[in-house]
Amino acid sequence: MAGVRNRFRKKEEHYFDYSLLFIILFLVVFGLIMIYSASAYDAADQMDNEAYYLIHQGGAAAIGIVAMIVVSWIPYHFWEKFATLAYLVSIVLILLVLTPLGYEANGARRWLKIGISVQPAEIAKLGMILFLAALICKIGRGIKTAKAFFLIMGSAGVVCLLVWQVTDNLSSAIIIGGIAFLMLFVASPDYKKFVLIVGAGLAAAAGVVYLISQSSMTEDTDFRSARIMAWLDPEAYASGKGFQVLQGLYAIGSGGLFGKGLGNSMQKLGFLPEQQNDMIFSIICEELGLFGAIAVIMIFILLIWRFMVIANNAPDLFGALIVVGVMGHIAIQVILNIAVVTNTIPNTGISLPFISYGGTSVLFLLIEMGLVMSVARGIRLKDA
Amino acid sequence: MEKSRTYHRKKIVIVFFLCTALFLGLAVRTGWLMIFCSEHYSGLAQDLHQRERSIKARRGRILDVNGAVLADNRTVCTISVIHSQVKDPERVIAVLQEELGLSEETVRKRVEKVSSIERVKSNVPKETGDAIRAYGLDGVKVDEDYKRYYPYGKLASKVLGFTGADNQGILALESSYEEYLQGTPGTILETTDARGLQISEMGEERIEPIAGQDLVISMDVNIQQYAEQLAEQVQKAKEAQSVSILVMRPGNGEILAMVDTPEYDLNDPFTLPEEVPEKEKQDALNRMWRNACINDTYEPGSAFKIVTAAAALEEGVVTEEDTFSCPGFIMVDDRRIRCAKVGGHGTETFVQGTMNSCNPVFITVGLRLGVENYYRYFEQFGLKKKTGVDLPGEAGTIMHKMEDMGNVELATVSFGQSFQITPIQLAATAASLINGGIRITPHFGVGTKNGEDGTVSPFPLKAGERILSERTSERLRAILFEVVENGGGKNGRVEGYRVGGKTATSETLPRGTGKYISAFLGFAPAEDPKVLALCIIRHPTGVYYGGQIAAPVIRQLFENILPYLDIEKTGTADQPENGAERE
Repeated sequence: MAGVRNRFRKKEEHYFDYSLLFIILFLVVFGLIMIYSASAYDAADQMDNEAYYLIHQGGAAAIGIVAMIVVSWIPYHFWEKFATLAYLVSIVLILLVLTPLGYEANGARRWLKIGISVQPAEIAKLGMILFLAALICKIGRGIKTAKAFFLIMGSAGVVCLLVWQVTDNLSSAIIIGGIAFLMLFVASPDYKKFVLIVGAGLAAAAGVVYLISQSSMTEDTDFRSARIMAWLDPEAYASGKGFQVLQGLYAIGSGGLFGKGLGNSMQKLGFLPEQQNDMIFSIICEELGLFGAIAVIMIFILLIWRFMVIANNAPDLFGALIVVGVMGHIAIQVILNIAVVTNTIPNTGISLPFISYGGTSVLFLLIEMGLVMSVARGIRLKDA
Repeated sequence: MEKSRTYHRKKIVIVFFLCTALFLGLAVRTGWLMIFCSEHYSGLAQDLHQRERSIKARRGRILDVNGAVLADNRTVCTISVIHSQVKDPERVIAVLQEELGLSEETVRKRVEKVSSIERVKSNVPKETGDAIRAYGLDGVKVDEDYKRYYPYGKLASKVLGFTGADNQGILALESSYEEYLQGTPGTILETTDARGLQISEMGEERIEPIAGQDLVISMDVNIQQYAEQLAEQVQKAKEAQSVSILVMRPGNGEILAMVDTPEYDLNDPFTLPEEVPEKEKQDALNRMWRNACINDTYEPGSAFKIVTAAAALEEGVVTEEDTFSCPGFIMVDDRRIRCAKVGGHGTETFVQGTMNSCNPVFITVGLRLGVENYYRYFEQFGLKKKTGVDLPGEAGTIMHKMEDMGNVELATVSFGQSFQITPIQLAATAASLINGGIRITPHFGVGTKNGEDGTVSPFPLKAGERILSERTSERLRAILFEVVENGGGKNGRVEGYRVGGKTATSETLPRGTGKYISAFLGFAPAEDPKVLALCIIRHPTGVYYGGQIAAPVIRQLFENILPYLDIEKTGTADQPENGAERE
């Protein structure tokens, strides 16, 4: 491609993905509305301010949008030299959770208090995307080798292990692992080993579930097995492990085709735990019905469709891999979140991107969007 | 810098379609949950969100035959506080303390207790409840409720019974007619949040309660009151243990009055007349509530000669004119059984023997029937079964087994000893024998009254079986008329009326303690009985002959109630025996 060299000079030829921007803004605003709707009753009661969660999330979203715009203006290759640094910083931040800087909320030590509170796992996701994109580009044609495979999965595995063990956050570890796996899959010309890995993983999961389903819940059942049992029959464990999922199902089932109307959820009145957080999708179902739920899923499909278009037209592999990483991040999180809420898979805490309450999450998601937009700017219209 | 290759693009497309497939799969899953599982989950959710509060149904009243209210409902209030809604606890405490007359400490404890709803006081008069409601205090709830109320206090206490804490019938008619009286409770469905706070803008669903049906009984308050007065008088005069009076219509078994002194206050049924140790309290209460007319058996004594006479006349082993000789005793096998009159009655006809209540005559007649025949009539007259009266806890008959009955047992049964029946059984059997021979079922329940238009839906009356021929019944009435008119029951005579009847005096078991049960069973008019009454005096002091102490009670009763019941005077023995035409 001859035009690559002067792609930053001829501004008027550059592409800006307005559909992507619109989808993102829609999701952020819709998320804020749903957070307000889901949390107002509880917030009024506990925080004495029904807009408590809305204000906090709104602030993070505003900063995030500014950050997104700034990042979208910066050529994404600028970040390439910081890739290794980002990887190391991620690890350090995760380890900092163990120091007095870390603090506990909802029974898990996942947050850092450095002026504002941040979740290192969210930063690690972005760090991992940048690091792997740069690493894969550096490896180049050697990507086919086993050495490259183990180097990439190994460096991702270290972070996964830390996130899982240090911050006790299996869900984020799975997401980071999934991002790495998808990026490697796209970068590598091979299919066989990926199909085998997925097949083996699914078989192993099915085996574990089968074994656990044969036993019954006792006092000393560990909590992950207990979750799997509760997943298989939530109504049998309605007051224990099945409680949250079952309350979510109550909300989903109450929605019907068109829902009870925005603001009219009953389950948010203290029945459903995490109603503005991991379980917000069930409130969407209850208030906006099946139409609302499917609309949300369609918006996410549109979002990853834009990612696919941008990745396929990216000026170079580094850009494409960044977009693939972001696409993997969002797709995995949406799939796992909705799957948990609909009791399709065992319960694990995963938030719904852009919609669930969580300042760090929305901030870093928007920064990732900025990166994608920056890649999109690199697309020359002639090529597009 | 490496350029992305074709296979990269292909793989990105694969990733996209893979993700899209999973997204669509989840959309289908969501749709399945929201359409096909919707009913299940929304039902469960509704159960979770709605709190059910039951609304008591107004219990049906109990009305006498003329519509006088025997059991009524009073509106009372329950005062509760809802801790989370109380805005001014000090004022609430002050108001409740003053209005309810409770100590500040008690009220404070209730108001300051952290609970969803705390009852401060129940059974508060409606006026007090209204007054508290008028303050409009936040967090104070005044719920209206019904409490059973018996306007006549202790009148017919053992017939009516009373209700428990949940307004459920516990004893007597309140218990046996529970299904008509109780009604169907309603419900208030309130929508609440997870902490149980009512969500006011959602309102509440009400399922209105259905009030119980009013029960109309055959009792007549005036007759009951008068009978009770007589029973109390004679109990006091004779220092008796207790007195029972039963008044019924022999034609259909309707009971007009049932007294069993001492009665107790239905509005305060848990207070004993005297202090007893806590351990014995329940037994003492059960004794106090016991209705001896139904729950206890006794030896009927000479009144049972009515039954022996009926059986003997029906079987043809005796006629009115048969003569007997009473030397003051009779030998049965090797046993010598005395007559009440030590000197003996000498020669007498069967009618005279009945008028004299002569034991040897009835023993002779009984022996003429023989064990098998006597037993057959005993069963045919319905004496082995319960009467089926509509009051709970009726006692059964205690009788010899036929195979264990020898001549001695037969002899004693013939004059009413060595077996036990209830007073209601004696009255019901006598009524059936003199009413023309149809077995009646004694009862109070007449029907239910529709609250709106006052129409009565009658309970179906059980058709009675014929147990005695009409002719024998007529002959029996004539003999029993002679007993009152000229024989041992003459204290039961009522001026202007033809009364039939039979006296009874029996020594209670164990014999020789000097304790007696005196009784008189009378009916009028003798030819066409409209009313039958039985008076039983247990353990009287002084004179204990039924003819002398129980017969006057029935006479006084009849003197009052016969005119009251519009029973025409039919004259006395001066008129021919069959002078009164049957209606």
